[in-house]
Amino acid sequence: MTDMADLITQQTMKTDKNTAGLITGEEKELALHCMEAALKSGADQARISLSKSVLDTYGMMNGVLDKVAHSADRSVYLYVFADRKYGTFSTNMLDRAGLEDFAGKAVAAVKLLAEDVFRKLPDPERQEKNACDGRELGLYDVRYQDISPEERSAIAAAECIYGKTEANGKFRLISEECEYSDSVDDNFLADSQGFRGRHTETSFAVCSEITIEDASGKKYSGYWWESSPFLDRLERGRCSAEALDRAVRQIGGKRGKSRTCPMVVDRSVSSRLVAPLFSALNSASIQQENSFLKDTLGKKIFSDRLTLTDLARTPGKPGSRLYDTEGVATGNMDIIRNGVVETYFTSTYMALKTGLPPTVEGVSRPVLQPCCKEEDCCPHGSFGAREIIRRCGSGIYVTGFNGGNCNPTTGNFSYGIEGFAFRNGKITHPLKEMIITGNMTKLWNSLAYAGNDPRESTRWQIPTLCFENVDFSG
Amino acid sequence: MTNGEFLDRFRVTEPMLGQLTGAAISKGGDYSDLYFEYSTYGDLLLKDNEVTSGGFHIDYGVGIRTLKGDRTGYAYSENTEMEDMLCAAKAAAQIAGSEGAGRYPGYDHTGTPALRDFYPASRNWRDCGSAEYIAALKKLESMILEKDGRAVKIIAKLSWSESEIMMYNSYGELSCDFRPLGSIVATAIFSENGKNENKTSSRSFRMGSEMITDGLLQEMAEEVVSGIDDRFAAVRPKGGRMPVVMGAGASGILLHEAMGHSFEADFIRKGQSVFSGMQGRRICDPSISIVDDGTLLYNRGACNYDDEGIPGQKTYMVKDGVLESFLHDRISAAHFGVPSTGNGRRESFRYYPIPRMRATYMENGGSAQEDLIASVKKGIYVDEFSNGQVKIGEGDFTFYVKSGYMIENGRLTAPVKDINIIGNGPQALADITGVGNDLVVDNGTWTCGKDQSVPVSCGIPTVLVKSLTVGGE
Repeated sequence: MTDMADLITQQTMKTDKNTAGLITGEEKELALHCMEAALKSGADQARISLSKSVLDTYGMMNGVLDKVAHSADRSVYLYVFADRKYGTFSTNMLDRAGLEDFAGKAVAAVKLLAEDVFRKLPDPERQEKNACDGRELGLYDVRYQDISPEERSAIAAAECIYGKTEANGKFRLISEECEYSDSVDDNFLADSQGFRGRHTETSFAVCSEITIEDASGKKYSGYWWESSPFLDRLERGRCSAEALDRAVRQIGGKRGKSRTCPMVVDRSVSSRLVAPLFSALNSASIQQENSFLKDTLGKKIFSDRLTLTDLARTPGKPGSRLYDTEGVATGNMDIIRNGVVETYFTSTYMALKTGLPPTVEGVSRPVLQPCCKEEDCCPHGSFGAREIIRRCGSGIYVTGFNGGNCNPTTGNFSYGIEGFAFRNGKITHPLKEMIITGNMTKLWNSLAYAGNDPRESTRWQIPTLCFENVDFSG
Repeated sequence: MTNGEFLDRFRVTEPMLGQLTGAAISKGGDYSDLYFEYSTYGDLLLKDNEVTSGGFHIDYGVGIRTLKGDRTGYAYSENTEMEDMLCAAKAAAQIAGSEGAGRYPGYDHTGTPALRDFYPASRNWRDCGSAEYIAALKKLESMILEKDGRAVKIIAKLSWSESEIMMYNSYGELSCDFRPLGSIVATAIFSENGKNENKTSSRSFRMGSEMITDGLLQEMAEEVVSGIDDRFAAVRPKGGRMPVVMGAGASGILLHEAMGHSFEADFIRKGQSVFSGMQGRRICDPSISIVDDGTLLYNRGACNYDDEGIPGQKTYMVKDGVLESFLHDRISAAHFGVPSTGNGRRESFRYYPIPRMRATYMENGGSAQEDLIASVKKGIYVDEFSNGQVKIGEGDFTFYVKSGYMIENGRLTAPVKDINIIGNGPQALADITGVGNDLVVDNGTWTCGKDQSVPVSCGIPTVLVKSLTVGGE
């Protein structure tokens, strides 16, 4: 494998001579040249985004190295504003003459479109001033540069339990797929008003998917993953065990009876119920009459217990970023505070078009605050699924969603779920092939508990949740 | 385009290709292949009564793969300088140097079907001015507004791509393919008595810009407005177990998700599919045959070649109720010692190919649609699904029903919406008790997202499933 180490090092170093990131000074200059070419071709304003990334993946199948993949990408996105018209263009062919031609054709194409007087670059005062070297948020692990193919392979292998797990009468392990991957992403954003921004981050991840067969020949699968911006903080060596446990726990699962009862949603899947809120809070959806949260800004819509904040500028945490895709500075801000809608995600374009105050284009690192329905309750220490199930008494503990949808206009939803029934605070048996139906506004008004246990590795910090009076069909 | 023009496009010669595949198997690999791609994409968006945004995108590169037994080494280069391609080839080659050598060199597939052109484009998208496309979007908007004044917002998008693909492998086989793809999607939001509802229509074909005709635009406008009264009136039914009649056409997505994925032979090879080990067994009624077809003219799932250079073909997954074949790429075909079915597909040169569906549909049965509905005392009829998901090992699936009707005493009654249908793929297949004679292959913008995105299509005649779980109030 030493040859491979040399090869990949050569490939990386080719674009990384000073090891300060993937994007070289020459490439930055090329990107700026492309933007200048657009301006010379008749653009009034322009923005350029140069992205480079490297991803290495090592996959194991049943304990044996099965796949090795090395990816190195780079692309330029050019945003053209010309004669009050707007278009977006991209290419991965980054030679100087080619980029000039690309920019000229982009401006010519934009001029064929209809006018849209609201298309402008953001107010420079709102743009980030301190994203200079891409490392400001501390999301780059210098260990990335030193990790060898042998180490990557060893990390992937260390996740494997195939051949180490004894068969028993309850199940047989059919297959195990483990994977280790690491990546570095480097972005340089510039616009014709003088904005310059850089964001660089590394990521390290392991995952495992296990398939088992029970004594009757039925198959069950389980999946688990861990990730971190830092190699040393990556939780390793437990994905397969967790995936196996999640598969085994499903054995004997059956459809439960239709009922209305409390629903506890595991932290690993609870973000599924938050995503429709962010879609509905986007000004583009609101402007298009396609949001169930239209005309709710500043109003109390949800339970007092629901507080969602965007902690976008938290150093060293996944999802943090100093600027959005327009270069607008992010901020730590309330999205929903005690049930009151505090923020619509509003780009410069949508702000001008709707009259709403401009914010950022979308959420970065949402954090849902812990809460509980007992007024005197203030969770200290561990407040996760176990404690919430104990407090609930009886209900259904959802550990996975399977299909479904939320109507963005009405907020009505229907999702397939799997999980466990619980009674008297104890899990009793696995459930499958059940469906929850309801309305998002009503659901979030029935929030009873939110734990303090979001997964450290995820960008969205959504803990275990509990809702009352949820309709289950079985 | 001739093979020579493809070679010129990528600035390579056949000897260079041989050198690259040689480098990719230099460490003992069984097989290697190269996948060159030059793709251009264009899009235009109509919103708030004007086409105010659009753009084009260029993607260029080569993916290099080495196989050793079932194992894959993969790397790619975003330019075709020989030095960089050799570097990628040598990186891919390393898979052969890992422990446990491969067992077989069986990736050769001579005797596969002869090549036909399933998407001869007469007008290249790149060559036509966007003014023509803008006019088409404006016309589509006008047609919708003329048909239903309750439409308060219309979003219409036209997108196209043209991909020049050149493949070469260590057997010395050179395959070239020009792939056009055009898509139009229109969504209207209707407002009535303070309530909003939306409806979408889409069409996609492997065609040049000749696909844009007044007839097509009229058909889409009609589809957008049809049934909107029922959408406003629709309610959630009471949930439970009941018979479900799947409407012809887009309900075929259920075949794709709930059955098709479980036939993809990578899942079979790994023992993960619920259908593993069931080839040759009867799995459903003899009136049922299910195919995956890359040979439908101009279809979104058509393939002159798959992305491993295997000519396009039609594959019976289920024939007369018996599990006939899985969907193979070169790896699984070699693993099982069968010919590839031409299902090795990939999103772009950045990905290695894996078994993927093309156009998946059920062939006609002998029942009339009205007879199937009339046979149900109490159930639901579904005419539009979305957001399907399946668990490959278990076969459990869930689908969101965007629109449908209650069936009461053999007749369609109240419209329904916003519900889910949940079931188990093999069980649902076994529970099909009636197949209509009205097969429709849906030409919507279906995209399969198994790790990578590839264009597909689906279809089905009207089908009666005797019992599924319907989620409702």
